[in-house]
Amino acid sequence: MTTLAEASGTSWDVIVIGTGMGGGTIGRYLAEQGLSVLFVERGPTGVRAEEQELNPNIWDREARLVRGYWPEPLEATVNGMTTTFHAPLGAGVGGSSVFYAATLERPAPHDLDHSDARPHPTGGWPVSYEEMAPYFDRAEALYHVRGTPDPLQPDGNLFPPTVMSATDQGLMSAMKDIGLTPYRGHMAVREEDGFEQYLGRKCPNDCKMDGRSAGVEPALETGNAALLDFCEVQEILSKDGTVIGLNVACKNKEATLTARSYVLAAGALHSPRLLMASGNLGNGNDLVGRNLMFHLNEMFALWPPKGKHSAGASKSLAFRDLYHQDGQRFGMVQALGVEARYGEIVHYLNMAFDRSPLRKLGWLRQFTRLPAAIAVKLFGSAKIFVGILEDLPYAENRVFHDPADPHRLAITYDMAPELLSRRKAFRKALKQRLKGIRMAFTGAGPELNFGHPCGTLRFGDDPKTSVLDRNCKVHGTKNLWVADASFMPTSMGVNPSLTIAANALRVGEVVAAELMETQNG
Amino acid sequence: MAKLLAVITGASSGLGRALAIELCGRGLLVAGLGRREDALRETAALAGDSFTPVVADVSNPAQVRAAFDSIRAIAPVSILINNAGVYPHRDMLDETPESFMQTVAINLGGTVACTSEALKDMTEAGRGRILNVSSFADMHPLPCSAAYSVSKGAVTTFSRALVADFGDRLPKIVISTWMPGMLNTEMGLAEGLDPAVAAKWGAGLALWQDPSLNGAVFEMDREILPPRGLKGRLKDAVRLKRRKPRVIPT
Repeated sequence: MTTLAEASGTSWDVIVIGTGMGGGTIGRYLAEQGLSVLFVERGPTGVRAEEQELNPNIWDREARLVRGYWPEPLEATVNGMTTTFHAPLGAGVGGSSVFYAATLERPAPHDLDHSDARPHPTGGWPVSYEEMAPYFDRAEALYHVRGTPDPLQPDGNLFPPTVMSATDQGLMSAMKDIGLTPYRGHMAVREEDGFEQYLGRKCPNDCKMDGRSAGVEPALETGNAALLDFCEVQEILSKDGTVIGLNVACKNKEATLTARSYVLAAGALHSPRLLMASGNLGNGNDLVGRNLMFHLNEMFALWPPKGKHSAGASKSLAFRDLYHQDGQRFGMVQALGVEARYGEIVHYLNMAFDRSPLRKLGWLRQFTRLPAAIAVKLFGSAKIFVGILEDLPYAENRVFHDPADPHRLAITYDMAPELLSRRKAFRKALKQRLKGIRMAFTGAGPELNFGHPCGTLRFGDDPKTSVLDRNCKVHGTKNLWVADASFMPTSMGVNPSLTIAANALRVGEVVAAELMETQNG
Repeated sequence: MAKLLAVITGASSGLGRALAIELCGRGLLVAGLGRREDALRETAALAGDSFTPVVADVSNPAQVRAAFDSIRAIAPVSILINNAGVYPHRDMLDETPESFMQTVAINLGGTVACTSEALKDMTEAGRGRILNVSSFADMHPLPCSAAYSVSKGAVTTFSRALVADFGDRLPKIVISTWMPGMLNTEMGLAEGLDPAVAAKWGAGLALWQDPSLNGAVFEMDREILPPRGLKGRLKDAVRLKRRKPRVIPT
C-alpha cells in the first residue's frame, strides 16, 4: 500500500480506477508487463482474514465501507416504482467479486456474434467470439477455473472439477435420465474441496479466485504496482481529448494523480457516473449511462432423488439445454450455491414485501417470518437453481449522475414487453424440460439481478452509437480505457465475470502496446 | 504445535492469579499484567515457568502498548482475559469526578486498551479468544458502587459492541462475557467462592473457542441466555427450537 503523498508525487504508467474483476485483472496484466501501475480503490483493503458476506441490513455508511460494501443505497425506479435498498455491490479491494460465488462461465458464440440462425439484437459485438476465445482461455487459466466442459459447447481451458457431493451426483444422473446434458459448473477456486463456505463471502485464504486474489495481490507481488485504498476519484481531468490527471479525495485529503494512461473500472453503475462528473467526458451523443442491463433471475428449487440427499448447497451443476431455444434467447441454468435456509427465505420474502402494495403497512413485514418457517419445512432438502435470462439494451434504462449529490446512486429501469414475454417462455420451457424431477419456482414476479449491472458504456465501431471503440478506449480520447462490465452491448446468458476478466486482458494488451510504442517512439 | 499464549490482566492477585495458575497448568504460555512487581513474582512462583510477569497499569494506554510489545516478542496473543478491575466501595457524595473516572479508566479503559492491542494479533491470525470478566452490578447497583457498576455495565456493552463490529467479519475471534460469581478474594466476600474453582470455569471458557460463543454471557459455569420477547418465543415455538443454556466443559 502506498500513501497519497507518494502516489501524487509519482508519474505512473497506468492508473487503474477500481479493483474488481476488471480493474484487478488488467492491473495485474500491466504490472506483469513491467509497467508501473497504481490501483485507486474507493473502499478498504480490509483485514485479509475477514469472511463477511454482503449484508443489505447494515445501513451505517461507515460500517458498510469498512466491510467493503458499496456505502450508498441504490435508488431504483423499476417500472415506475421507486425503492431504495442496498444492492449487492462491493467497494473494497476486489470490488464485488470478493463476495461472489466464483462462477466463471464462458458465453456462447451467439452471445457475441450475429448469424442467420441466431440473429443478434445489436447486429453483433464489434469483437467476435473467435477473437475473444484466446482471452477466455487465458482468463480461465489465470482464475484457475475448475469444471467439466459443457457437452453442447466443449470449449475451454479447465482445471479438473471440484469434489462432487452425493446430492449433485444424484441430481446429475436424474438430469441425464430426462435427457438434459448437465455439466460441472465452472468455478474459480484453487482447491478442489473445502471452499463451499466462502462462496458468497470474502475468502480468508487465497482459495477463491477473485479480483483481489487473482488480480490486485499478484499485481502487488510483481513490485511494479501500488495500491491506494479509501481513495475516491472525483473528477477525470482532460484537455483536448487527453486525460491529464485525476482529482481524488483520500481520507479527507485531496490531491491530483497523474499517469500516461488511465483505465476506468469502477463498475457499470459508477464508471458512467464518473464520466458524467468529469464534464460529460465521452458523452457527446448522450449515451453514457444508458442501455443499463441486469439479468432476470429465474429461481427454482429442485429436489434430489430419494436417498441421494446430503447436507450443503449444490454449487457445481449447470446445463445449457435451454440457452437458446426456438429462436429465443434465454440463458444458462446453474446451481445457486445456497440452500433454502431460513435466513435466505426471510430476506427473499422481505424483498418481495418491499415491492408489494403491502409495503405501506410496514408492521406487517415481521410476518414474513412465518411463511419463511413454513417454507423451510416445505423446501427442506431442495437445492436452489437459477436460470439466467439475458437482458437486452434499451436506451431509457439508465444510471444517473446527480451533480448536486454525486454520491446518490439512482437508476431507472423498465422491463420491456419483449423481456417479459421471453421470461414467460423461459419459465414454460424450464417447467417442460425438467419434467421427471420435482421442481418449484421460488418466486412469482420477475427478479432483477442487481449484482449483474452492465452495458452503460457500450463498445462499438460507430462513435454515434457507442461510447467506447472496439479496444474499449473512450471515443475521442487518447488515453482513457474502460475495463469493467460497462462495455457489453448485450448482457449474455451467463454470469458476466469471466467475460469482464477476458476483456480486461484484451484491453490490457492494447494499453501496454500503446505505452511501449510511445516509450520507444 | 506451538503453545498458545494467553494474556491475563490483574494477574497479581485473586482471580487473575488463579486463572494464570490454571492456564499454565493446562499447558499454555501466560503473560500476566499487574501493577505490583512483587505480587506478580508470587504468581510466577505459583504458576511456574510458563508464566511471564509484565508490570503495567492497564489504565495507562502507553504502558499497555509497551507491555503488549514485549509479550509479542514471546508469541502472538491468542487469548485475552480482561480480568483487572477495582471496586472502591465509595458513596457518591465522596466521589469526585476524578476518582470516579479513575475507576472507569481501570475497569473499562483497561479492557479497551488491552483489547485494542490483542486485536492486532488476532485480526492478523484471523482467530482469537477474548473473555471480558464482568458482573451484574449494572442491573441492580448496590449502595457505594456507582463507579464500579457503571464501568462493569460498560464492559458488558463493550463486549456486545465488539461482536457487532467483528462477529460477521472475523467470527473466529470469539468474544464472550463472563460473570465469575462472588469470590473469596480481596475484592469479594469472605463467604465467597474459592477463586481456584472459578478459574477452572474461566480457563474452560477461554479454551472453548466455538464461534457460536460470540456474544455469549456466562455466569459461573452456565450460559445466561438473552431474554426473549413474545415475538422471539413465538418464532422458537414455530421452528420447534428452544435454546438450552450451555455449561462450560471442565
